[in-house]
Amino acid sequence: MGEQVPATAVTERGAGPLGASLPPAVRMTGITKRFPGVLANDGVSFEAASGEVHALLGENGAGKTTLSNILTGLYRQDEGEIELWGERVRFHSPRDALDAGICMVHQHFRLVEPFSVAENVVLGDHRGEGRRVLLRTAATEQRVDELSERYGLAVNPKAKIWQLSIGEQQRVEILKALYREARILIMDEPTAVLTPQEADTLFGTLRTMADEGKTVIFISHKLHEVKAVADRVTVLRGGRTVTTVDAAPATLQSLATLMVGREIEVAKPLEQARQLSDVRMLEVDGLTVPGDRGETAVDGVSFSIREGEIVGVAGVAGNGQRELAEAVSGMRDIRSGSIQVAGRRLRGGDPRAAILAGVAHVPEDRLGTGLAPSLSVTSNVVIKTYRTRSLSRGPLLALRRMRETAVGIIGRYDVKTPGPGTPVRNLSGGNLQKLVLGREFADDPLVLVVAQPTRGLDVGAIETVHSYLRDAAAKGVAILLMSEDLDEIRALADRILVIYEGSIVGELPAGSASVEEIGLLMAGGTRE
Amino acid sequence: MSVNDSLLVIVLAQAVLYGTPLLYAALGELLAERSGVLNLGVEGMMLFGAVVGFWITQRVHGSAPEVLFLAVLAAAIAGAALAAIHAFLVITLRANQIVSGLALTIFAGGLGLSAYVGTELGFSPNTPIEQQFRDLDVLGLGDLPVLGPVVFHQSVLVYASWGFTFLVALYLGRTRWGLNVRAVGEAPASADAMGINVTLYRYVHVLVGGAFAGVAGACYSLSITAGWSSGDALVGGAGWIAIALVIFAFWRAELCLVGAYLFGGLSALPFALQGREVDVTPEFLYALPYVMTIVVLVLVSTGLSKRRIGAPAALGVPYVREER
Amino acid sequence: MKLERRLSQPWWLSVAVPVGSLVVAFAVMGVILALTGHDPGETYRKIVEAGFTGNGALSATLISATPILFTGLAAAVAFRMQLFNIGAEGQLYLGAIGASWIALQFGDRDVTSTPLFVVAMCAAAAALGALWALIPGVLRAFARTNEIITSLMLNYVAGLLLTYLIFDSSSYWRDTSTLQARSFPQGKPMPDASNWPTFGSSVVVPLGFLIGLAAALVVWVLYSRMRFGFEVGVMADSPRAARYAGMRTRRKILAVMALSGAIAGIGGASQIGDFTYTLDGSPTGLQAAAFGYTGIVVAALARYNPFAVCLVAVLIGGLLNAGYTLQGPDFPSGLVGVMQGIILFCALGGELLLRYRLRIRRPRTVNPVAEAAS
Repeated sequence: MGEQVPATAVTERGAGPLGASLPPAVRMTGITKRFPGVLANDGVSFEAASGEVHALLGENGAGKTTLSNILTGLYRQDEGEIELWGERVRFHSPRDALDAGICMVHQHFRLVEPFSVAENVVLGDHRGEGRRVLLRTAATEQRVDELSERYGLAVNPKAKIWQLSIGEQQRVEILKALYREARILIMDEPTAVLTPQEADTLFGTLRTMADEGKTVIFISHKLHEVKAVADRVTVLRGGRTVTTVDAAPATLQSLATLMVGREIEVAKPLEQARQLSDVRMLEVDGLTVPGDRGETAVDGVSFSIREGEIVGVAGVAGNGQRELAEAVSGMRDIRSGSIQVAGRRLRGGDPRAAILAGVAHVPEDRLGTGLAPSLSVTSNVVIKTYRTRSLSRGPLLALRRMRETAVGIIGRYDVKTPGPGTPVRNLSGGNLQKLVLGREFADDPLVLVVAQPTRGLDVGAIETVHSYLRDAAAKGVAILLMSEDLDEIRALADRILVIYEGSIVGELPAGSASVEEIGLLMAGGTRE
Repeated sequence: MSVNDSLLVIVLAQAVLYGTPLLYAALGELLAERSGVLNLGVEGMMLFGAVVGFWITQRVHGSAPEVLFLAVLAAAIAGAALAAIHAFLVITLRANQIVSGLALTIFAGGLGLSAYVGTELGFSPNTPIEQQFRDLDVLGLGDLPVLGPVVFHQSVLVYASWGFTFLVALYLGRTRWGLNVRAVGEAPASADAMGINVTLYRYVHVLVGGAFAGVAGACYSLSITAGWSSGDALVGGAGWIAIALVIFAFWRAELCLVGAYLFGGLSALPFALQGREVDVTPEFLYALPYVMTIVVLVLVSTGLSKRRIGAPAALGVPYVREER
Repeated sequence: MKLERRLSQPWWLSVAVPVGSLVVAFAVMGVILALTGHDPGETYRKIVEAGFTGNGALSATLISATPILFTGLAAAVAFRMQLFNIGAEGQLYLGAIGASWIALQFGDRDVTSTPLFVVAMCAAAAALGALWALIPGVLRAFARTNEIITSLMLNYVAGLLLTYLIFDSSSYWRDTSTLQARSFPQGKPMPDASNWPTFGSSVVVPLGFLIGLAAALVVWVLYSRMRFGFEVGVMADSPRAARYAGMRTRRKILAVMALSGAIAGIGGASQIGDFTYTLDGSPTGLQAAAFGYTGIVVAALARYNPFAVCLVAVLIGGLLNAGYTLQGPDFPSGLVGVMQGIILFCALGGELLLRYRLRIRRPRTVNPVAEAAS
C-alpha cells in the first residue's frame, strides 16, 4: 500500500510536504461492468486525492453505485484497473477492500438489527484486537464512545440497532469506518434520511475527516449538496465519465446540464396556488395507528384533502409517514380515529375495502408490495381488478381480455417492456413506476396515496412521473404524497404537512414555505 | 421402597437418557439455522449415524473406550457427509432448502441408505451388540436420593452432551466467530459487506450440524436401544422433534437442554407407566410427544410475533451476492 | 465463468431439465451399483422388465402408482403456494378411516350399488382428509405456526390412531367375529359391493387411478384457468403484494390445505376400495408404505404440474414395483429410498439451470472514449 503520510503534513490537497504531488488516493481507469441486459459502467475513469471531499454526481442509473461497489470489492469489474496511492490493487471480496482502508456507508445500511451498536462496529474486524476469540464488549463500547465524541456522532454503544432512529443508524455506519481507521470513506446518497440541519452536521463531520487527510467520496444526485460539501465533482452519465470540475466555480445550472446532458430547469416550487374545488375527498380525523412493535406510530392526526389537491407530507423517515400511508390504503389497522373517502367511512385494516372505496395506492416498495416480481406484466396489471365482470366470467379468468387491458396500459403510459408476458422484475425502476401508476389510474380512483414515487429513478423518469401525478390532480384525484425529497414536495404539492414523531407539527401552503422552515419542523422544532 | 424407585425419579432419569439424542440433534440443527440454513434431513442423518456407529462396534476390535470413541467419531463423520450434500445443493446451487432437506431424509432414512447399509452388512434386530455405552457411577454418588440416578448415573454420552451445550452457548454468545455466524444468519448482506465469508460459515455450520445429528443417532444404536433395526423405528421421529425443539428453545443452546429433557420425559412416560401396570392405552402415550410438540410450537409462534427475538431473519433464504 | 440470472425461460427447458436430471440420476445410481458389486446394466434391465414391460408388470405398476398419484397431487397443490404440507401421509390414513367407516355403514344397511359406494367413500375420505389438513392449516393461518412441523407430527398421530383402532380397541372397524380375528387383530372385511371396479384385461387399470387422473385435470383447471389459481400464484410469489391487492390470504391458506388433504384422503379411499378391502392398521402395512413422503418426491420431480405428476407417478410406481418384485440379494431394501433421493437431488440441482445460465467470459477490447457533453 502507498506510503502513509501523516495527516498534518498535507498542505495542499494531493501535495506532500515538499510540494511534489503524491499519487492520488484512488485512481480507477477504464472500469467496465456489465449486468444481464445493462452496461452499468462503460470505461469509467475516476480519481480522488487524499484530504479532499470528492463528489460523484449523476442521476439515478448513471452508474455511481456500481462504481463504488467495485471500489469496495462487492463487485468485480469486467475490465479496468484500480490504483490506491499509486499501487495497483485487485479486490476479490469486500474483505480485501476493507483491509486496504476503504469503507462505504451504503444507502441501505449494512447493519444487523438485533445486534447492539458495539457489536455492529466490531463485526468482521480481524485486525489486532479483533483476532481474539472472546469478545471484549466493554473495551469496544469505550472505544465507540471515544470516537463518537471526537467526531460528533452521538450514539449509545449498548443500544440495539432496531431501537435507533435512521439518523443514528447512519452514525453507526460512519463509526464502523472510523473504528477501522478507514482512509477512504464512501458515502452513498447519505442525506436521503436526514433533515436539512442534520445534513449540515454531516457535512461538518465529513469536512473534519477530509482535513485529517482522509479521502471522502460523496455520491449524490442532489446538486445543492454537492456544491455545499465537495471540493471537486466528477459527473457520470449513462455509465460514462463526463468530466471532473472544481466545485467552487460551478453553478447549479451548469452541474445540472452536465448531469443530464441537456438543458433542464432546476425544479422550482409552485409559485401560485391552483384553483381547487371545495369537495373534500379524503378526511382523516384523530387517526391513531400502531407501529410494527405495538408503539404508537401515528398519533391523533387530522387533515383533509380536496378534490384535485396534492398534499405533500414531509418528514424524516421513521416519523410515521409510512404507517399513515398504510392506514389510509387499508394495509394497516387503525387503533382509533376515522378515515372518510367521499364522505363515507372507510373500514380500517382492509385493503379490499379501501380499493372498493376508490383509494389507489402506489407503495414505496414497488417490487415487493406493489407488484409480484416473478409474475408477468399482465398478471400485475389485473392484480386488483381480476374479480370484476370484465375480466372474469364467474370463477373463470378471461385471459385474453386481461392481456388486452395490459397492452392498453403499456401503450398509454409508455412502459418499456419486451411484452405483456414478461416477468416484472426484468423491468427498470422507471418503467415499474409507470406501470404501477398506470394500473392505479386505470380504475379512476378518487384518492391516490403515493409514497416515495421517484426514488431511484433517473431525471427523465422523474419528469414523467411528476407529469402523471399533475395530470391526475387536474382530473380531480385527491393525492396524498409522502416523500423524503423536499424538492419534490415543493414542486408538486399545493399544501405541505410536516410530520414528526407521529403528529402533524406544521401545515404550510407550498408557495411560501422555505426549506429552512420545513427543515426545522421536520427536526421537531417549532415555528415562530 | 426408596425414593429412587419412585415413578418420578425413574422418569426423570429416563428423561435425561431419552433427551440426550434430542439434545445433540437440536444443538446441531441450531448451529445450522443460526447460519441461516434450514436442514430438515436430521432424521435421515440420525439414522445413518446410528447404523455407521453400530457398524464400528461390530467390526472393529479393541477396548471398549477405543471402539466406542471410534464409533461415535464415525457416526459424526457420516452425519457430516450427508449434510455436505444438502449444503452443496442449497448454498452453492441455491436449491429450495425445504425440499432438499426432505430429499435427504428420504435418501438416508429408514427406507434408504441406512437400511441399505445395514442389510448389506448383515445386521438385523437380532444382532447382539459387541460394545455399548454403559452408565457410569460418577464419584460414587450414584445412590444419592433423586440426584443420584438422574445426574450421577448416566453414560459418557450424556455428560459429553452437557459439555457441548455449554460450548455451543459460549461459542454463539461470547466469541468473535459466534458473532459472525449470527450476523450471517440475520443479515448476510451486512456480514458480507463487513468482510465475512458467508458461504464458508454456512458450509461449516451445516456440516457440524450434521456431525451432531450423526452422534445423536449413535445414541440410539450404541446406548438406548443398543442394537439396530431397519426402518424408521430406531429413531422414531426424534429428528423431527429436534427441529421443533430448536424453535421453542428460541434458538438458544441452554434452552435446547431444557426442552430436550422435557420431551425425553414424555417419551419415557409410556414405558414407565406400563412397568407400573397402569392401564393407559399405549398409543395415547406414544402420541403425547408429537401432540405436545404441536402445542408448544403454537404457543411459541403466537408469542414470537410480539417479540423481537426469534428466528434468524435470513433463515431459509439462499444468499446471493450480485455477481462478483 | 459465472452464473447469471436468466431473464426468461424457454419452455423446452422446463421439460429438458427434469428429464436431464433423471438421466444423471440413473448414471450416478449406476456407478453406486457397480461399486457395490451389482451390474448396473443388468439391474436396470430387470427394473424395466419388472416395472413396465414384463407380463402383468404394468398392471402391478399401476397399483403402486395410484396412491402416489394422489399424494403427489396433494403435495403439488400445496407446495405451489409455498405451503409445505408434509402431512399427506396422515391425511391418507384419515381418508382410509373415513372410507372404510362409510363402507361398513352402508354394508350394514345392505346397500348394493357400487357407484354409490364409490361416491360415498370418496366423499367421506375427502372430508376427513381435509379436516386433518385443516389442523395445520388453521394453525398456520391464524397462529402463524410453521405447517411443516405440525403436519408432520400429525402423521405420527394418525398412524397411532390407525393402530389403535385395529389393535388396541374394540372399535367399529375391528373384526371381532371369529376367535382367530380376536386373537390376531385385523380390520373387518368390506362388503363385496364396495370393491371398486377395474378396467381392461391385459393392463388392469384400477378405478382409483382414473379418479386420480380426473383429479389432476380438475387441479389443472383450478390453478391455470380460475381465479383460485391466480390468487395462489400471487400469494406464492409475494404475500405482501397479495395483501396489497386485497386478497384474502388466510382464507386461501385454509382452502388450499383442505383441498390438499381431501385429495390425499381420496388416495386413502382408493387403498380401501381398490386394493386392501379392509382397514389396515398394522404398523408394518399401510404405515410402512410411505405413500405420503413418496408423493412429495413425485410432486417435486413433476415441478408441481398436475399432468406431470400423473406421468411421474407411473414412473416412480414402476420403480417401486420393480423394487418389491426383485427384492432379494440383488436388491437390498433401501435401494428404493436411495434411488428416489438421488433422483430428487439431481432434480434440485437441475433447477439451478432453470433460473440461472452459465456465462463464459469473453475477452473484449476497451470501448472508445465517451463523447463529451454537448
